[in-house]
Amino acid sequence: MPTILDLHSHSEASEDSRAPLEAYLNWIKLRHQERPVDGIVLTEHRQFNAGADYRALEDKFGLLVLKASEVETDYGHVLVFGVSEEMTQRFDFANVHLDAQELVDEVARMGGVAVPCHPGRPNVGLCEHYGLKPPLENVIAVEVLNGGSRKGEDDRSMELVRTYGYRAVGGSDSHLVSLIALCATRFEADVRSIEALVRELKEGKYQPVDFRPKRKPVPAAVPDEVRHNGG
Amino acid sequence: MAVEYDPELIGKVFEVTDPVDVSAQDIATFCAAMGETNPLYTDEAAAKKGPYGTIVAPPSYAVTFRNGRHFFTQVPRFGRAGFDAGKDVEFHAPIRPGDKITLSSHVKEIYEKTGRSGSMVFVVVRSTVQNQKGEVVAHIDHRFMNRP
Amino acid sequence: MSTMKFDAIKIGDTLGPQEIPLSKEQVRTYARTCGMDVPRFTDDEGARAEGLPGMIAPGNLSLGMLSRLVTDWIGESGARLARLGTTYRQPVQPGHTITLSGFVTHIEPAEKRVEIDVWIESEDAERLVIGTASVEFP
Repeated sequence: MPTILDLHSHSEASEDSRAPLEAYLNWIKLRHQERPVDGIVLTEHRQFNAGADYRALEDKFGLLVLKASEVETDYGHVLVFGVSEEMTQRFDFANVHLDAQELVDEVARMGGVAVPCHPGRPNVGLCEHYGLKPPLENVIAVEVLNGGSRKGEDDRSMELVRTYGYRAVGGSDSHLVSLIALCATRFEADVRSIEALVRELKEGKYQPVDFRPKRKPVPAAVPDEVRHNGG
Repeated sequence: MAVEYDPELIGKVFEVTDPVDVSAQDIATFCAAMGETNPLYTDEAAAKKGPYGTIVAPPSYAVTFRNGRHFFTQVPRFGRAGFDAGKDVEFHAPIRPGDKITLSSHVKEIYEKTGRSGSMVFVVVRSTVQNQKGEVVAHIDHRFMNRP
Repeated sequence: MSTMKFDAIKIGDTLGPQEIPLSKEQVRTYARTCGMDVPRFTDDEGARAEGLPGMIAPGNLSLGMLSRLVTDWIGESGARLARLGTTYRQPVQPGHTITLSGFVTHIEPAEKRVEIDVWIESEDAERLVIGTASVEFP
């Protein structure tokens, strides 16, 4: 059974998110026709909540909830899937200047996978850093569809994929309940655990999927009489 | 943490500001500046029948009170001028004409993160807004973004 | 003004959209009324000298407009805005139309409280300000 997962989301545990997990899951149920995901991965900023147990909510909503992290490095932000205690002892997840190459290699050695996110974003995405420094080695996949991207950013990410042959994933990067699952990743295999997710990211078949609605026409710029008064 | 500051700073309350008088005219001027037309805030007759029995200020008036001059000399700076990154406000008692409002603040938290515009240090200031009866009008967590 | 009842509210209910053609004069008036008569809120050149794209609306004005989106929705129902949190992601520049919207995302029946996502979008559908509000019903 294919599995569709939002690989990048932030609950209230991330300091800049305002979304309780339960409200996320409720929203997915409400919007399931337009955003047909089977679950989400919580990628909290600069932390990993080893003790958090979401099984009750998973059962209540019939959705998968997996845990991961988004950390900050000298090549931008990176999603870490398959976080272990060994990893959190090796790397201080709160450090905003982690060594990206070390992170990619050590996470892989420890049984996880590090996926650079929003590579097309200024300052905190790979693209800009690749313009200044040698490219990272051993990167398997990058996030080409990010729900928080501004104009042109995802296009830059796609360029990176074409140049370096990276695999591509998608995620909402949601910090608000109503923005969950706008972008996601479709795995051909059945993914029901973090171990399965890591295995599929490394070896499986997957692609990013976009559930964002087509944009309605936006109103024209400020009408003349208002512009004249404000000028 | 790479960010350095004196840990004694966290939680230390600075001076309480001198009371600021709020008149009916002040509320009316604020409503006009906002383009606010809600009768609870603008129409004495309608407001009398509302939940407060009198005109009150719109909730967002509570964030317009300023700390004293000295406050910002004591809050650590981390480079160039700060930007307002957002506020989390709990609204309690409404502000009525005739109220005298004071503000008392402390630094709640300091943290670093990276974003589109580069490295940023956030200073979170927690303010308590009170009226002359000692009632809490609002608690405000105010995030200032500094760029080192 | 609306007089909706708590029991009629559903998750997914919308607030707005309110389209506001934000003028420079409005922004200046707000800034001066609130004692913020400084270049970044009143003058394009002055704002650019600070590294901004031009004159911007004070964060408090964005907060005020989102607050009004919620209080308009509340209407005469007797409910009160209990909490509003905002994150300013991009500058809100006058001389453009902004759109304010919201969704009811959670209902807490025991406390008669409703949680709402609120945001301000630019003409390009980019989210300039995001936030959440809590409304308590009598």
